[in-house]
Amino acid sequence: MSGAGMDNMQLEATDRSPAIDFKFDEAVFTITGESYPEDVSTFYGPVTERLFAWLAEQSPESVVFNFELIYFNSSSAKVILGIFDALEECAERGVNVVVNWHYDEEDDTMEELGEEFGEDLEHATFSMKKFSA
Amino acid sequence: MPGGLFAREEKVAERASGVLSEAGQSVRSDEMETLLKGYDKLLKQTKKLMRISDRSEAELNRIAKALDEKNAVLEALSGKLSKYLSPQIYQSIFTGERDVEITTERKKLTVMFSDIKDFTSTTENMQPEDLTALLNHYLTEMSEIALRYGATIDKYIGDAILLFFGDPTTEGVTEDARRCLLMAGEMQQRMRDLSLEWRDLGYERPFEIRIGINTGFCNVGNFGSDARMEYTIIGGEVNIAARLEGIAEAGGITVSQETYSHVKDFVEATALAPIAVKGIKRPVTPYRIDRVSRSDDPNSPRLRMSYDGLRLVADLEKLTGAERAKAAEDLTALLKRLKA
Repeated sequence: MSGAGMDNMQLEATDRSPAIDFKFDEAVFTITGESYPEDVSTFYGPVTERLFAWLAEQSPESVVFNFELIYFNSSSAKVILGIFDALEECAERGVNVVVNWHYDEEDDTMEELGEEFGEDLEHATFSMKKFSA
Repeated sequence: MPGGLFAREEKVAERASGVLSEAGQSVRSDEMETLLKGYDKLLKQTKKLMRISDRSEAELNRIAKALDEKNAVLEALSGKLSKYLSPQIYQSIFTGERDVEITTERKKLTVMFSDIKDFTSTTENMQPEDLTALLNHYLTEMSEIALRYGATIDKYIGDAILLFFGDPTTEGVTEDARRCLLMAGEMQQRMRDLSLEWRDLGYERPFEIRIGINTGFCNVGNFGSDARMEYTIIGGEVNIAARLEGIAEAGGITVSQETYSHVKDFVEATALAPIAVKGIKRPVTPYRIDRVSRSDDPNSPRLRMSYDGLRLVADLEKLTGAERAKAAEDLTALLKRLKA
């Protein structure tokens, strides 16, 4: 395990929660699927706790974060905004942070949401990635 | 989530109140800056979340509206389609009770066949528009009566009507047959009224209909292919109803022995010479219905009562003299016991 000193984190997607694939050793993080868990805090609590601690403590050369979401509710949006903030703070410290927002080419809503989320990033690099389902 | 979804914001508020209580009126500018930064972030997030939420709501509204419109279209469409089906069939399909698939069942049904006597020769001098109006008027009137008695209208075949009792709902074989006969009686009565109306309208030769009724086991259900099916009945017993209709007099009702056995309490009938029906081995004895007296008519001389545990058939015209007195005595005693 390289510098991270942490196990990778993998959660399978359920009906209401996305798949989590956090490769701390490679500094590549991916959230895929739909997000409207019954209790947002219960689902995202352990995930963000480890992520935020890692982002605050480690100083990797670069970090890649992929959002591949189909749908998320307002509480999940709050969590995502929190992740954006943490990534932006990390970038502010000089880490090369790339945030990729993947969206279905036919999904205007996800495209607009991505643009909305990305507009506040100043230090991190934000890029919209269209895919066809 | 440790501290919950708003842990960060709560921390800012906590800090603010801490700073305030420590510093009293004078707040250090670096503390103030931290608080402001936290507040700005919160404001930004709130605005963003609000926009997201508004957008979701708008999207939901749009979908709900589109669904409403689609539902209205479907409703109108199903309303139109329903007229091509008997109401019971429509109901049972739309409530999900019945699957739309090729399946049939064997059931004891009472089947009625009717047609207009000498339809072709009666109508050959009529204008097509007049004929259409007259035929539709006749079918409308007959269907209204049929549906009121709970019949399943199978189909109209030109001027003929095929309907039955016993599927998709049944009141029991006897009650099904009884309803069918009462319905047929009312149809003939209505035809007599209608012929006066039609004569007034200038139709020289008003319609007269013949009715045949039979009770027996038929195959009922959806026949056809997956692409085009028809809910109908088939079987030799259906042919018997058609044959009985063929030998009925104009304005008359002819029933089979089986039907007669279920309705004999409240009809007067004459047995006719047995007939042979193609595909049926046994000879069929037709009964010409001479009179239908509704058992629920309080002035009818014929009474019929049927409960589980009590069955009563009375013909007050027949019951005279000493027998009538004895019957009254017995029934009074029975009444006493019933009320005890």
